[in-house]
Amino acid sequence: MRELTILAIVLGVIHSGIRLATPYLYAALGETFAQKSGVLNLGVEGIMLMGAFSGFYTVFVTGNLWFGLLAAAVIGALFGLLMSVVSVTFQAEQGISGIGLYMLGLGLSSLLFKTTLGTVEGVKGFSELHFCLSSLGINSDLCLAEVPVIGQIFFSHSILTYGAFALVPISAWIFNKTNWGLSVRSVGQNPEAADTLGVSVNGTRYAAVILGGILAGIAGASLSISLLNIFQENMTNGMGFIAVALVYFGSWTPVGVLIGALLFSTVNALQLWVQVLDLNLPSDVAVMLPYLLTIVALALPFRRAEQPAALTKPYERGEN
Amino acid sequence: MKKIHWLIVLLLAMAMVISACRGAAPSDGSAVVEEAPTAAEAEPQEEAVVEEAAEEPAEEVVEDLSAEADASGIGNVRVAIVMPSTISDVAWSQSMYDSLLRIQESAGGPDVMEIAYTENMFNVTDAAAAIRDYAADGYNIVIAHGTQYGTSLFEIAPDFPETSFAWGTATDVGTEQGLENVFAYEARAEEGGFVNGVLAANLSESGILGVVGPVEAGDAKLYIDGFVAGAKAANPDITVNVSYTGSFGDTALAAEAANTHIQAGADVLTGSAQQVVGAIGVASEKGVPWLGTQSDQSSIAPEIVVASQLYDWDGIVLDMIEKNQSGEYGGTAYALTLSNGGLVMEYADGLDADAVAAAEEAAGQIVAGTIDAMAAIEGTMPETPAAEESGELELPEIEPVRIALVMPSTISDLAWSESMYDSLLQLQEAYGGDVIEIAYTENMFNVTDAAAAIRDYADSGYNLVIAHGAQYGTSLFEIAPDFPDASFAWGTSTNTGSEEGVTNVFAYEPRAEQGGYVSGVLAAYLTKSGIIGLVGPVDAGDAKLHVDGFVAGVHDTNPDIDVNISFTGSFGDTALAAEAANTHVQAGADVLTGSSQQVAGAIGVAKEKGIPWIGIQADQSPLAPDIVVATVLYDWQPTLLTMITSQQAGNMGDQVLELTLENGGQKMIYSDSLPEEAVNAAKAAEQGIIDGSIEIVAEPR
Repeated sequence: MRELTILAIVLGVIHSGIRLATPYLYAALGETFAQKSGVLNLGVEGIMLMGAFSGFYTVFVTGNLWFGLLAAAVIGALFGLLMSVVSVTFQAEQGISGIGLYMLGLGLSSLLFKTTLGTVEGVKGFSELHFCLSSLGINSDLCLAEVPVIGQIFFSHSILTYGAFALVPISAWIFNKTNWGLSVRSVGQNPEAADTLGVSVNGTRYAAVILGGILAGIAGASLSISLLNIFQENMTNGMGFIAVALVYFGSWTPVGVLIGALLFSTVNALQLWVQVLDLNLPSDVAVMLPYLLTIVALALPFRRAEQPAALTKPYERGEN
Repeated sequence: MKKIHWLIVLLLAMAMVISACRGAAPSDGSAVVEEAPTAAEAEPQEEAVVEEAAEEPAEEVVEDLSAEADASGIGNVRVAIVMPSTISDVAWSQSMYDSLLRIQESAGGPDVMEIAYTENMFNVTDAAAAIRDYAADGYNIVIAHGTQYGTSLFEIAPDFPETSFAWGTATDVGTEQGLENVFAYEARAEEGGFVNGVLAANLSESGILGVVGPVEAGDAKLYIDGFVAGAKAANPDITVNVSYTGSFGDTALAAEAANTHIQAGADVLTGSAQQVVGAIGVASEKGVPWLGTQSDQSSIAPEIVVASQLYDWDGIVLDMIEKNQSGEYGGTAYALTLSNGGLVMEYADGLDADAVAAAEEAAGQIVAGTIDAMAAIEGTMPETPAAEESGELELPEIEPVRIALVMPSTISDLAWSESMYDSLLQLQEAYGGDVIEIAYTENMFNVTDAAAAIRDYADSGYNLVIAHGAQYGTSLFEIAPDFPDASFAWGTSTNTGSEEGVTNVFAYEPRAEQGGYVSGVLAAYLTKSGIIGLVGPVDAGDAKLHVDGFVAGVHDTNPDIDVNISFTGSFGDTALAAEAANTHVQAGADVLTGSSQQVAGAIGVAKEKGIPWIGIQADQSPLAPDIVVATVLYDWQPTLLTMITSQQAGNMGDQVLELTLENGGQKMIYSDSLPEEAVNAAKAAEQGIIDGSIEIVAEPR
């Protein structure tokens, strides 16, 4: 490797890791809300694909990035609603209904893509922000993104990435400091008790799952109108399922999910660098690394918070 | 509660089944309304078959028709129309649909005249099904609104002797086939094209006109040829730049073409097909006047659409209905012309009076016969950039064959699957849909599903079933012996199963190291930093060969260049491929390459950072025309022809077929922006590989 310092490599890995983590964060945080309330939504992947398509198509037609994001959020909410109706009201087996939702999202997004666009196109999505003084009207070339070290790590991401990271403390605050967050947690832990206290179990679950859907939709849009700026059929390639696993990995807490997403994405970024650096590591091993590390981390016997006691169990008043 | 439970489970099961069973083509849904149809909507992917050039008008009587069609006297009639695009395409399809609506209103509404339509039938097989369905459903007149539908139509028409069929752009009413219930219609678009050309030449101050064409065929070609002839007649010194996007629906590319024309100095633009929406958008942005054809596009950009040649099919539709109701079901060929009122020129208010006068004078002369637009075209050869097919493909005689394709990804994956599907389509276009029938199933990354699909196709009597994925081998060798009368093809592979006694499998493999080598030579000339990045999927199959060849090509040219290779571990992880590209760029790479459908992500990064990309498998330049500087195109046509002719001669398999530079299976495409020295070196490398003087040695990794 000529003239590439260790520092440059490390910074590159961190930058890539943060960027790659964006869709995982949105999706996994959304899923955390759903699971905390007791609903397992395996359809995240399908919602992400629908969000990716709606966001992309809206931007393609209107040119307005915020409309695109809104479209993705709305579609995500609708799918979340569908999941709620099936899992909460009709009390279907959640693992199966989630997979059904995944396939619906996969098939529908592909169908819509084929009938509207047909070929892979590009759009101008949310680009990296560089926080330049010139955008404040000041006559200067100085940009925060150019500050050594911190510039690359903190000040050169797209607004959706910042949004994803901001969502972590916000989610934590919602869970721990708001009434609604308390309802969500109690409904997932002990729905009978919550019910006797007047908390609407199903209503809370609906809200949590719809919120999860919105975030999953935005996760998909973060791919199609921010990170990649294209839409391709099945472009999420399993991210949604990894996101669900990250919730378990993160012990159903936003901070845990953040650590999991960053770990997974950073190691993924690392394995790419490892291959570039000619370290004589077979590519197959490099590719395995993120998954290997995740398994190892999961196997480590440190205390993991127990999963919400009522996870996957539909609630009906009067049943015990 | 429990009953609804089961209902929902059933619905979900259906959703799963439906989304899992990816059939041959998108749903047709008669009279399905598109989601949010707006004029700015991007249109579906380009038609597979091109509209043929209109022939000389047939001997049948060409009726003279008034544009003022009064349909109040007709009896109850049911009309159906099958279209290749949508009713809101502001072009070909919309012009006919709008005519139908007008006739319906004049006749007294839907109670008198019922209209049914099916859109987006660019796939001929789907269209044929729709046409047949309508006829079987008792519609009196079924309009097949696309040249590509002809062959199918002639097969269907005899089955419904009391149904009228109409077909266009066409002049052949099927008398040779003994048909009496087919009408044909065409638009003599060169007439309005000529008039628009005169207008444009008079309006232009820069002396440069731009034309955004779709495919050089059919009414598009007539229009554009007429336009050029008219412009030159008005001003012999005028320059008319014509470009063809190669598609009818590629809105983004049409927009790009418009941009290019404007940058080249054009101050008046025109074009045809539904994709002009993109071009009009650009024209509107840049304040460049637009001359339209087929439909009234002024709603898209009222200030800049200054003139239009409108297709008014009303008279033709009414005449067909009247004939049908009097017992004459077909046999007439119609043409829209300026003199019979089928073509109507419309000018915007406030347009320069002298220019309009000149245009109207030209129109008058065409009607009077003093100007013959077709003759004028023959006198002036338009300066179109040659849309050449590099290398002639020999087309041997073949019997009708049914081919099925099972793929791990999608036909729009810009890579492995798309290359095979495109080649199949090209063959079908060359031979016609009645000789080559194609069916396909996408997204069969799961081997069990693929095996089921392969078996189903063989069961349904397909002659050649292509298992387009290395992972399908084991299953294929179990299925093939059960169907000795069918041939199977499998790739990437060199194993035909002969050791296991299988005799009806063709194996195929792209010798991707060849194209890779040439790409490597090219890349070595292009890099200034001395670092090249390669975004690979999995170190196997043709991807591995590609990498081997690429590295050899680079190092044979300059051993000091670093080729950094990373594998994402998947074929479809677009996000990771984008990251890999980013990583390469950060490591100093200034030329990138890679393979498989996930490169869409990498190309996006290359586009953002302005880094040249060399593609393989399919032409990825539509994604980033300035960035994709070269492509190793997989052309499967020769391979497919070998399989078909071999099978039809009784040789059901047991052959290993390769895509090589020599047999035309791999074709190098170079962008005009490349430096001459680099292209020459690459072409020399091609030659060296073909004549054997260059030996590609893979470096250990």
